[in-house]
Amino acid sequence: MKKLLLIFPLGLLLLSGCVKEEETGALEMTFKANYDGTPLVMLDEYAYDGGLMMTFQRFNFYIGNVALVDGSTKENLLDIEFVDFDNMASTEEATAGYSILVDEIPTGDYAKIQIGLGVPADLNATADSDYSGSHPLARASHYWPGWESFIFTMINAKVDSNGDGLYDDSSVLYHTGSDEAYRLVEYTFPIRIEKDKVSDLVFEVDLKALFQDGAGGYIDILANTNTHNIDDLSIANQVMDNFTQSLKIVN
Amino acid sequence: MRLFLRLVLFATMLVTGCREVPVMMDDDNPILGDLESIPYDPQPYTLEIPDFFPDMIIPTDNPLTVEGVELGRFLFYDPILSADSTQACASCHLIEGAFTDNLALSTGIQGLEGKRSAMSLLNVGFYYSGLFWDGRSPTLEEQALHPVTDPLEMDNTWEALEEKLRNHDLYPEMFRKAFGIKDRSDISRDYATKALASFERTLISGGKAKYDKKFLSLEPGILYTASEFRGKDMFFDESEEGLPDAQCFHCHGGVLFTTNEYRNNGLQEAATLNDFDDPGYGMVTGKVIDNGKFRAPTLRNIALSAPYMHDGRLATLEEVIDFYNEGVHYAANLDENLVIQPLGFDEQMKQDLIAFLHTLTDTSFVSNPAFQNPFEE
Repeated sequence: MKKLLLIFPLGLLLLSGCVKEEETGALEMTFKANYDGTPLVMLDEYAYDGGLMMTFQRFNFYIGNVALVDGSTKENLLDIEFVDFDNMASTEEATAGYSILVDEIPTGDYAKIQIGLGVPADLNATADSDYSGSHPLARASHYWPGWESFIFTMINAKVDSNGDGLYDDSSVLYHTGSDEAYRLVEYTFPIRIEKDKVSDLVFEVDLKALFQDGAGGYIDILANTNTHNIDDLSIANQVMDNFTQSLKIVN
Repeated sequence: MRLFLRLVLFATMLVTGCREVPVMMDDDNPILGDLESIPYDPQPYTLEIPDFFPDMIIPTDNPLTVEGVELGRFLFYDPILSADSTQACASCHLIEGAFTDNLALSTGIQGLEGKRSAMSLLNVGFYYSGLFWDGRSPTLEEQALHPVTDPLEMDNTWEALEEKLRNHDLYPEMFRKAFGIKDRSDISRDYATKALASFERTLISGGKAKYDKKFLSLEPGILYTASEFRGKDMFFDESEEGLPDAQCFHCHGGVLFTTNEYRNNGLQEAATLNDFDDPGYGMVTGKVIDNGKFRAPTLRNIALSAPYMHDGRLATLEEVIDFYNEGVHYAANLDENLVIQPLGFDEQMKQDLIAFLHTLTDTSFVSNPAFQNPFEE
């Protein structure tokens, strides 16, 4: 009996030693914003369609349901995250981009990555006051009670509409939201996650492309200064459609 | 003789048992363990947070306790914090002003005028993006370090204050009960600021203002006047009658009526971003695009916390509305929701906005016994 008692724990020890710990690595996703191919720096001047000059003060967006996909395997990386270019005050900062590190990803080769642009419906049914501190959805500036939605994408700019060199006469406030504006994008791109290593993935989005009107031109931003009307999401939907086309993996 | 000695001993015990005896500390010869006989059994403090508010994040190294909050309340109201024992936190953060002093610029030690207006501490426990008008302190604990040593506020040193607290007839026991210190020499700025932060986290206002009762607490029978309704629609840009968007909620949105962001609201015209008299947030971030930006304050109890803006330049809510209505001043980083052109609000619209702002007043907050001066109880 004593021998049995000794063998039993020994067996347990051996068994537990044989259980293979899941090997994991990390993925750093870096987002870079450009305007017409130039790194986007807040308050720098950029040329819009028709010779209008613009300066940007905010460009940010939510990403949700980020997952790596390989065949029938899907590895969820993020439920929600906030990508923020508001503080890009120099070309160096803009070139470095905004990075998000996701760790403890099972090692392996993944063929695709999917990214939701905006806030997925289940989370969009909540409100900013449901979250605290540094949670991405805790931003009161990014919840619109009138829409009962988070602001998925915030593009705030000023336009020098009279060409006097001052950006004091017209603003562009393109805020997208509502479940209808959510877009799920899937990229076919080989991604290898190696044990205890950080893999890199760089995305670029060109902000000017987000203003395309869908008919080969650009939105008339002097006539359409904001997207605040929940009953008219045509521009918001256009911006989100443009977003899916503009956001690209570059490495 | 033995009987006499016993009587003397007994009399001494009686006397010392009736009051705290100040013990002068000698840093070279601390009385180790002099507080260990005092029970240390801190009780968890339960915050009264309205259901519609976010949770408050409490640092794991400073859990809220009844004893810690009480110690913080005493410290908050005690002028011992200043070099000449004239200036308490409460000197600039008066409860009747929603924890402001209702002065344009705060008055510190020896009547010295500060550089900015005292901010309201209402709901300050929910601020996670920096404290002060310029966001220079990341936490309440860190923030509490500064006024003590600011030459325009308390002009003290923490070393001197720690010494005073260690030799005080009240505080050693309170520090013991709050933090379990074993002797007076353990009293430190770390514990003092933790206690102050704990008290400040209890300064919650929500659910009691007319706005809350009408729209968030859904208390039956609360009626908004037509003027208050119109003001609310302008504030939130929800008007179905074609009322103009007052753009307020972009900076003062959410249940806390602040987005906790730093914005340039057009107080000063600046030809370049280096021309601001007070760079504000830019001094903290080191980025010129942040010059002239200040924290958007909460509008809860705003009617009680005049004057307004970081330098208190606007005396009344009427002046605030006029300021925005007449067109703010230009700078390249002026908040994009604001324009320098007049908004065109007529007198009725202005009064509607003010009427709405008054519905954010919570008088129960300023009469809450838990927030009062303990030395006057």
